[in-house]
Amino acid sequence: MISFERVSKRFERHDALRDVSLEIAREEMVFLTGHSGAGKSTMLRLLMLLDRATSGRLVVNGKDVATIRGRQVARYRQDFGFVFQDHQLLFDRSIFDNVALPLDIAGFHPRDVGRRVRAALDKVGLLGRESANPAVLSGGEQQRVGIARAVVARPKVLVADEPTGNLDPGLSAEIMALFEAFHRVGVTVIVASHDLALISRLRHRIITLKEGRLVGGVGR
Amino acid sequence: MNATVPDAQVGPRPALVSWFDHHRRAAVQSFLRLWREPIQSLVTCLAVGVALALPAALWALLQNVEAVSGSVQTAARFTLLLDQNTPFEVATQLAAELEGQANIDDVETVDRADALKDFAYGIGLNELMDNLDENPLPHLLHLHPDKNLSSAELDALFISLSTLESVDQVVFDTQWQARLGAAIATARRLTAGVGVLMVLGAALILGNTIRLGIEARREEITVIKLIGGGDGFARRPLLYSGLWSGAVGGLLGAVLVALLFGFLAGPADELFTLYGSDQTVSGLGFKGAFGLTVAGGLAGLVSAWSTAFIHLRRIQPR
Repeated sequence: MISFERVSKRFERHDALRDVSLEIAREEMVFLTGHSGAGKSTMLRLLMLLDRATSGRLVVNGKDVATIRGRQVARYRQDFGFVFQDHQLLFDRSIFDNVALPLDIAGFHPRDVGRRVRAALDKVGLLGRESANPAVLSGGEQQRVGIARAVVARPKVLVADEPTGNLDPGLSAEIMALFEAFHRVGVTVIVASHDLALISRLRHRIITLKEGRLVGGVGR
Repeated sequence: MNATVPDAQVGPRPALVSWFDHHRRAAVQSFLRLWREPIQSLVTCLAVGVALALPAALWALLQNVEAVSGSVQTAARFTLLLDQNTPFEVATQLAAELEGQANIDDVETVDRADALKDFAYGIGLNELMDNLDENPLPHLLHLHPDKNLSSAELDALFISLSTLESVDQVVFDTQWQARLGAAIATARRLTAGVGVLMVLGAALILGNTIRLGIEARREEITVIKLIGGGDGFARRPLLYSGLWSGAVGGLLGAVLVALLFGFLAGPADELFTLYGSDQTVSGLGFKGAFGLTVAGGLAGLVSAWSTAFIHLRRIQPR
């Protein structure tokens, strides 16, 4: 479903990714790990079209993403659910409105928006809090709102960049359990994390990067 | 926490339906947003209102002047200065003859003595009469032509009057009318020019407000772009806040013009009366106020669109 073909990304002074080739299958769950600066975030940024590869090809759903330009970029991103380390919630609106945003963008009927938002909040254990402002939530709860927003439009692929970076081990395990639950219902899940202790307990492929090169987890 | 997926068959609505729906909601929310920061909104709208009120007031004033000048024009008058030695009887006889003509409404004969009295009174020098050995004025005929005569027919009448025996000179001041016409044309140009500048000013004020709005919503716009919203989706609320601010500004401008004309009404009506017009000063009216509101809204929309076009592209998720 997602294949990196000899992808390199060079920033001004250093190579963030060097000649990376990798396949991620549909409905697979993979962890992306390595020290900070190893290239995890760069891979995700290429996948989200926040950056473009310097060389090589990135093919998603059979399509070379280099051909996706302009207005198509927004449409492409709608097929993904993104979870950010700093969760990127908007504090000028309620939890409900935060989670509803992808549905508004995709153009759902308000009635369906309500149902789906509550379903998503139920999945992350925050049903009943929808009218609160996300600012009053704890860090773990905020991250769960971020996850609800990422899955509310039922994307085929869920991408998370250090989703547990700011959480204590107990909360981190809970968040990972959530990702596994989505994986079990057929969502492709890609999680970048440097919490090796946590992810090695879970039985999924671990792709390891070091200084921009793949050093482990290439094969399945 | 369970991850089952209920009602998975529910999907987005057709693009056009959701597009309209988002427009509707963006319109409502932008309007409500105006009231969330009432002071700031009021200042912005008032600035737009003041900018639009000036050309609108000029325009309305010009409409009044034109209406009055129209009624003055119909009161065109010839003054026939007779030969110095023409006796008064000849003057009255000539008046009676002229009054019989179809293109002349009425003729009024003024004795030279009365003419001097009027003149002296008119310039406030009653003693003048005592100091003059001889009355320098001839007898006069004031002649009102038919109101429906065209300017060509008036010219023809002027020529025929000039050739009359015992008429020394015919005074028909068309020049002041030409001057007034030119003055009105100039004022109209000025109004149009000032109007364009002020609308531009209003658009710039709104553009700056929209730009600040974009900065304030930078986070929101970034998140929207991150999760797959396009420029159009991010732009929509901005367009509507431009539209509303401009329209409310235009409406406030109309209110300002109404206040201004209320303030002017007393002396202006008197001025009109002095010019022999029974007209009273009239403001923008309902149509004008509506037009000003629409003009404000359009200026807001255009300025929001161009501001959003320039600044939204710069905001990209990092």
